[in-house]
Amino acid sequence: MLLSIVSYGLALGAVYALIGITYNVMFAASRVFSFTAGTVGMLGGVFGALCIDRLGMPVAVGFLITLAAGAGLGIITEVLTVRPVLKSLDQHLYVLSTLAFALMLQQLTAIEWSTEPQPFPRLLPFGSGWFDQQFWLPLLACALTIAGLEWLYRYTLVGRAFLAISEDNYAARALGLPEQTLRIASYALAGMIGTLAGFTGGEMMLAYFGNGPLLNFYGFVPVALGGMGSNRGAVAGGLALGLFQQTANFLVGGIFASVAIFVVFILVLLVRPEGFAGAAPARRV
Amino acid sequence: MSISRRQALLGSAASTAALATGVFRPAIAASEPIRIGYLPALTGPSSSTGIGINRGTELAVKEINDAGGINGRQIELVVRDTQSDPTKAVNAATELTRRHKVHVIWGPLNSGEALAATPLIARDGVPQLHPCWVDSLTDVKKYPLAFRNAPTNQQIGGAANHYVVNILKAKKVAVISDTTGYGTASLNAYVPMLKTIGAEVVYEGSVESNNPDLKPELLRMQAAGTQAIMPWSVNAGFLSRIINTRAEMNWDIPIVGQTTLGSGQTKALLKKPEYWEKVYPNNFRNCSYNATGALPPRTVEFVERIRKAKIEMGDTLLWWIALGYDGPRLMAEAIKAAGSGPEEIAAYWNKVKAWPGVYGSITWTPDVHDGFQNEEIVMCQANSLKEGAFTLAPGYTG
Amino acid sequence: MTESATLPLAAAPKRKLGGLDAWFPTAVFAAGGALLPLLGDSYLGVIATRACIYWVLVSGLNLVVGFAGQIAIGWVALLTLGAYVTSVLTAGTVMPELSPYLALLVAAAVGAVFGVIIGLPALRLRTFYFAMTTLGFATIVTQVALAWKSVTGGGVGVPGPVLPYPFASPWGFYYFCLGLAVLCTWMTTNIASSRFGRSLVAIRDAEVAAEAVGISKPALLVTVFLFSGAVAAIAGGLFASLQSYITPDAFTFDLSVLFFIAILIGGRGSILGPLLGTIILTALPEFAAPLVAWSTFLYAVLLLVIVLAVPGGIADMLDFKNRRPLERHREIRPRPELLAQILPPQARPNLLKLANVSLSFGGVRAIDGVDLEIRMGEVHGLIGPNGSGKTTMLNVISGYYAPQQGQVRLNEEILPPRAAAARAGWRIARTFQTPRLVGAESVLENVMIGATTAGRASFIASLLALPSHRRDEVQAYDAAMAALSAVGLDQLAFVRADRLQHSELRFVEIARALVLQPSFLLLDEPAAGLSVDEIERLGALIVSISRRGTGVLLVEHHADLIFDICDRVTVLNLGKVLASGTPAEIRAHREVVNAYLGA
Repeated sequence: MLLSIVSYGLALGAVYALIGITYNVMFAASRVFSFTAGTVGMLGGVFGALCIDRLGMPVAVGFLITLAAGAGLGIITEVLTVRPVLKSLDQHLYVLSTLAFALMLQQLTAIEWSTEPQPFPRLLPFGSGWFDQQFWLPLLACALTIAGLEWLYRYTLVGRAFLAISEDNYAARALGLPEQTLRIASYALAGMIGTLAGFTGGEMMLAYFGNGPLLNFYGFVPVALGGMGSNRGAVAGGLALGLFQQTANFLVGGIFASVAIFVVFILVLLVRPEGFAGAAPARRV
Repeated sequence: MSISRRQALLGSAASTAALATGVFRPAIAASEPIRIGYLPALTGPSSSTGIGINRGTELAVKEINDAGGINGRQIELVVRDTQSDPTKAVNAATELTRRHKVHVIWGPLNSGEALAATPLIARDGVPQLHPCWVDSLTDVKKYPLAFRNAPTNQQIGGAANHYVVNILKAKKVAVISDTTGYGTASLNAYVPMLKTIGAEVVYEGSVESNNPDLKPELLRMQAAGTQAIMPWSVNAGFLSRIINTRAEMNWDIPIVGQTTLGSGQTKALLKKPEYWEKVYPNNFRNCSYNATGALPPRTVEFVERIRKAKIEMGDTLLWWIALGYDGPRLMAEAIKAAGSGPEEIAAYWNKVKAWPGVYGSITWTPDVHDGFQNEEIVMCQANSLKEGAFTLAPGYTG
Repeated sequence: MTESATLPLAAAPKRKLGGLDAWFPTAVFAAGGALLPLLGDSYLGVIATRACIYWVLVSGLNLVVGFAGQIAIGWVALLTLGAYVTSVLTAGTVMPELSPYLALLVAAAVGAVFGVIIGLPALRLRTFYFAMTTLGFATIVTQVALAWKSVTGGGVGVPGPVLPYPFASPWGFYYFCLGLAVLCTWMTTNIASSRFGRSLVAIRDAEVAAEAVGISKPALLVTVFLFSGAVAAIAGGLFASLQSYITPDAFTFDLSVLFFIAILIGGRGSILGPLLGTIILTALPEFAAPLVAWSTFLYAVLLLVIVLAVPGGIADMLDFKNRRPLERHREIRPRPELLAQILPPQARPNLLKLANVSLSFGGVRAIDGVDLEIRMGEVHGLIGPNGSGKTTMLNVISGYYAPQQGQVRLNEEILPPRAAAARAGWRIARTFQTPRLVGAESVLENVMIGATTAGRASFIASLLALPSHRRDEVQAYDAAMAALSAVGLDQLAFVRADRLQHSELRFVEIARALVLQPSFLLLDEPAAGLSVDEIERLGALIVSISRRGTGVLLVEHHADLIFDICDRVTVLNLGKVLASGTPAEIRAHREVVNAYLGA
């Protein structure tokens, strides 16, 4: 029982954390939270099942195509829904434009794919039980992603440029950094991380259009708890959420588990709107 | 349509209403088509049932029309897709009864929509035939014109409970459902029924159907000494997780319950095909193979006809098609014999006795509008699915 | 211009607020709706009933989303709540049966409370966070409805309420819903053209300025959430009656999307627009049957197109009068002689005093032990190089920042720190370095925002257009018109603020501050971007304002203006007072000349 809580909890938590990182990467590049984060997560599962199961591609090819599709979606998100409204960031039009785009993707999936959960293929031909690939794959993906991001941000020039635009957009532009290119690259990266979450979590969550809103919410909880923009916070928050959810499933079960998560989420936000690791909001006048 | 246009021309709605019913009706009746309002859910989350039923319904209407219609009048099927959404179903039902002034309504096909639409159809005085299982959807006082040609939840659960307790001899039973309306309602109804026939319900719970991990629930069942699991849900993902988890726990107990346990959707989500062993969904005697692999004669002939009409069967279930096929035929028979007025149709249906449907035999009385017979509800083997039909579960004869 | 200068004020156009938006929607809606049954198509009747019910909800939500700009996506939660409360109470399963009307009232009360609960995070959280929490609530309410079987019937649901004669028949029920919908249109139109409506829009588009004129965001939002929750719950009760039977399945997220998008398609800050939006979105799927499966997809496309191409929505497209070109070469000619109509003589002497005020950001001392005295009837100049702490001083005085040391006193009373919205009550008004105005509203409405604290009518009085509300409106209108005339912008009173030139916006801000009848007026670089002529007229206006008894603190870079009009000047450098005295003394001050004024 403890094993079940831990293995499922951590695996789910890793998927949530990856979606949280997806939110963060987009936020760092543009100061925008996008409703598409969970939707690309859902599509990671759908594309994986489509390529490997329906079209019979080898796992590696399906994986690469899924990531490429994620990057493509990220770029479309940036061009279509973020760039046009960046000028008037304070009007929060991005909430509406990304919501609209996420709804479009969601509905398109429901109509063209299926409203029923579809099977997701087994990716690797070995392992079962509590150390099954469906548990460690998301964790591995999450670990690689966070390690990769840290390396990118710390040790590469491109990564420092990313950091610069997330610190101060105007200054970065004044320094001659190609702010727009970097933003597109960030969105492509975010799209890939999102689909990676859905792909590695596919066996657990299936290729199901309903995962979109679910991941949108549960992926945002770690961001809110860990503090926006903090990837480490998102990982810690995600894993904690996964374990909490799984424990609540065991202890109270069913509906009350999701109510419990929601209540905790609201209370934490009301007490600490900036999250556990975030800073207080900047001055307004 | 033609009537409402005439109303507009004559100006006064009240006087034309009298004219339309009193004077004009008989004159146009001979040639006017019979309008059957039809409310399937062809899109949306619970549309696979609707798509299956639709194939049978279209076949039946085509056969009747090809054979010259009902007393020379063709059937016009007025279709409105309810999209598995009760709100749309209310709009659609009103459009059929008030704007299209249909003679009779077939559907809605899902309980969620029927719960909202049935009172409205009853209020507008249109006879209704539906195949929804929720018990309260027939009520001779509240809905005197509503009839059901399918089992009620009570009957479905009764059959499953009977199989678990009396045939499998399981005494400790776990009942689990998803959190949808159907799931929770079934759970509520069946647990007391199990208790009255002497079973001990050692676990009962409703679980969010998207929950990826059902292990906690199954562990609780196991700890309580469960001898049979009875899941009630139409969600293939949910059901397949129960089956998968049972197998991964190496727990060898039967799973007995909802028909979707045997659907192709559920099968596709199983990790290994052999996990489908010892899974017994509800089914219907007329659409099941017996131990020797044969369908009842009436059904054999029906399957022949489906094949001839080149209707796809591999991706749906035989009983859905059969059910869809029976609906319009029950209507045609009533209208042919008694006329197309609401009272005439209802009066005829009230006296139907052992009507030989492909899906099941129907008997209605003025006091009971649930026509399906208990003994025709059976359990079958999930892994025996062949051309949309299943083999009877072990323990049945015939 | 010269002609109108001699005209008495009463000749200015009276009470033409909002133009199309004021009475038109209620009247057209009521008349059109009342005639609908003549078509004799009762299917159309059901669709129309549905549209009316949705509008009852949307009209309230419109105040939250369209006016206050709070992104409440999951408002279907309140529809669900209202539907269940009404149904359960009339079914008599948990307690003795209630009459449907009484049940609707109870639902309204419950809805009001939950409206506040759902809305509460908006007071503290960022936009996206709030959107997420409302989404969460929408899920939770359905889950609770499913789980709480003994009351809600779980998944099996409960029958909806049936209204007694004469509203039992389909058309009777339609008239009942239509009546409520018309009432809601009328009430929200009243709110829209009251100080509450203007304050909501100010919170949306110019939150900081809203605080400066004394608008308390928490109090206002809570009021609106109460109202919005109540009407949403009533809509829920009616929805349950129309559905005749409710299960949790009926309350889909698509419905929430419909409500939300109807408002944005209609246009933020409008009543007519969202009304049309609701009607269109309710009716469209019925008449475009082949598209029915795609309806939510199409709503989403529509939302995207609206956000990107027509952020103003339908209301913007209908706003013909703001497409008329404005005169190109406009001049601002203030008429200080009219100030007497706005600024009453000061009853007692006033003194605003800063004692030893310090404030640092991080390691930087923005102001460091500053003393300052602003006297009534004087213009006090505050100059200094960039970053010397001038604007920070203004922000401390107007309560945006709390000093870490020292106090701000008005006549020896300590002003509470970090209480910007309370400053208006002390009659301290200000303008901003970049004008903070509501671009989508008329110049007049922008100035009327200044009269918020002067209003006496309660929210309910405004809702029902009671005499106290009308009195407020007339007073606010007169005060705003007088202020606009005094600053010389009365001819542009009915033009949308975002069509004005930058220099004009500065004068609009001054007019807005004047409506507060300030004892002290803080001006943050009012001359920036003005032409030489305009600066001269501005100077004259400022002097006239001070001669009415108002103490003016003028932060400026234009040294000429400062030395021309100020009675006293303080020079700041690196957060410290470098010098203080009359303009003549400052001019002679060696350090000031060296450090700041140049040769």
